[in-house]
Amino acid sequence: MLLRAENLRKSFGGIKAVDGVTFEIEEGEAIGIVGPNGSGKTTLYNLISGIYLPDEGRVIFEGKDITNLPPYERAKLGIARTFQIPRPFGNATVLENVAIGAMFGREKLSVEEAFERAEEYLKLVGIENLRHKEAKLLTPLEKRLMELARALAMKPKLLLLDEVMAGMNPVDVDRIIELLKKIHEEEDIAIVSMVEHLMQAIVKFAERVIVMHQGKILVEGKPEEVLNHPKVIEVYLGKKVI
Amino acid sequence: MKTVKDVLPNLIFLIILFIIGSSVEGMWQPIALIIFYVALGQAFNIFLGLTGYVDFGYVAFLGLGAYGMALAIQNFAHLGLISIAIGVVAGAIFAAILSLAVGGVALRLRGAYFAIATIGVNEGFRFFIEGTRLWGGTEGIVLSGFMRKTFGSETTNLLSTYVSDVALFFVAFISALITSIYLRSRIGYALLAMREDEDVAKVMGINVTKYKILAFITSAVFAGVIGALAWTLKLTYVFPEDVFNIVYTVEAIVIVMLGGAGTLLGPLVGGTFYALLKYYLNVVFPGVQLLILAPILIAVVVLFPEGLVGYLKKKVRGTKLEEFVR
Repeated sequence: MLLRAENLRKSFGGIKAVDGVTFEIEEGEAIGIVGPNGSGKTTLYNLISGIYLPDEGRVIFEGKDITNLPPYERAKLGIARTFQIPRPFGNATVLENVAIGAMFGREKLSVEEAFERAEEYLKLVGIENLRHKEAKLLTPLEKRLMELARALAMKPKLLLLDEVMAGMNPVDVDRIIELLKKIHEEEDIAIVSMVEHLMQAIVKFAERVIVMHQGKILVEGKPEEVLNHPKVIEVYLGKKVI
Repeated sequence: MKTVKDVLPNLIFLIILFIIGSSVEGMWQPIALIIFYVALGQAFNIFLGLTGYVDFGYVAFLGLGAYGMALAIQNFAHLGLISIAIGVVAGAIFAAILSLAVGGVALRLRGAYFAIATIGVNEGFRFFIEGTRLWGGTEGIVLSGFMRKTFGSETTNLLSTYVSDVALFFVAFISALITSIYLRSRIGYALLAMREDEDVAKVMGINVTKYKILAFITSAVFAGVIGALAWTLKLTYVFPEDVFNIVYTVEAIVIVMLGGAGTLLGPLVGGTFYALLKYYLNVVFPGVQLLILAPILIAVVVLFPEGLVGYLKKKVRGTKLEEFVR
């Protein structure tokens, strides 16, 4: 077992964003987290990556309690993430962005080694031609790819993707899914991909799907089963009246 | 080796300044003023330029450095000129201790909150020294007579009118060299990431507080040395209201922003520009010099928001000159 979240709770004022969530992630697993807007997906990510500390519950990573570790120590243990709205280091070049990931991630690389690794991952995601461009000048798709390369360069054991396919056209969605599959095969890391919609996309990629609703896990299981589950349909489309 | 190459333009610039100062009649005084501001800018740039944080209490490090030198001369004068070296080290250590104390607490705050927290440091120190009558209190430490007696008049004159200025050339160069070493190392990239987005930097494994404190202490140590040399050794006295004067902090900020924060040549260009303006406006328009200085500075900042060197750096990107403008 790579990660275990135990009874995580986090409230903001009176709103229970995450309300007693327990789940496990195995090494090398491909998981989809699905849930409508406001279901607590991003808060869950923030609890795992250490941006928030939970009000209650524990996070165990490789058998070690990391509930109260600061984000940078979690990153060094092997947790990497991307952001819903890409957050590149805008004034740095694409290559520098990715190299910084390699420098401070799980393996402490020297500056030279990090730049070599950055080249590899730019090639992997297919934006090596942009290496000297300032990151703020990239298109949204390129920014997402760059963030992906930056997270991969950290050599994580667990990669948390936050809406990596949101707002993309079908061609780009397919491109990213192919990329994720390839990464999953080659890199042997557990990948958690979170989406609000795009169910078909997640079915193609995930081995297991977790559906969240109002801060709780609604259903968990094989993609096809979960997405046809009456409760899930109810959450997304409402109850059948007739 | 790359880092040495990076600071080559700085070295050439400094040598030219030195040659002008020592060969042209009457130029040593303006050059001494320039090198003070250049050194101040280079030292402050290590913190402001690399972290993007503004420290309004920065002059406290210069002030403590000045006291370090004064105390060393007072207590170790029997060792002869070694006491001056002790003074430089003492100034650096005093500043390092204060920066560790201030940075360890205040650098956990972000941006504007840090700036606010540091405003009190300088004033607090001044009132502490005046109130507790530490190190002579408001009367300060006056060394001119004592130095003449122990070192002799000629040596004292040489120390205060020449050695102190020449030493600042070395401070300006070494602080630029350290900046370039930092910029090319993991430290530089960690701080680049932090400047751009502190939260993302943390999630990517960067212990931002550690790197901020490192830049802060380095910058403070150079400030301490500058205070020891440019104030105590040059003026041969220390008064709390002079050395804990917030004007110097503001000038340091202006110089770094004028030249281009985080660039290697920026403080050199900014310091020279600022010192020349200040010196000659004083000569040509005595009394109203600040009234003229202010609009000029505003115009430069509006025209070159990234500083003179920052602007130039963007212009030469992708050309052969790129290597020389850092």
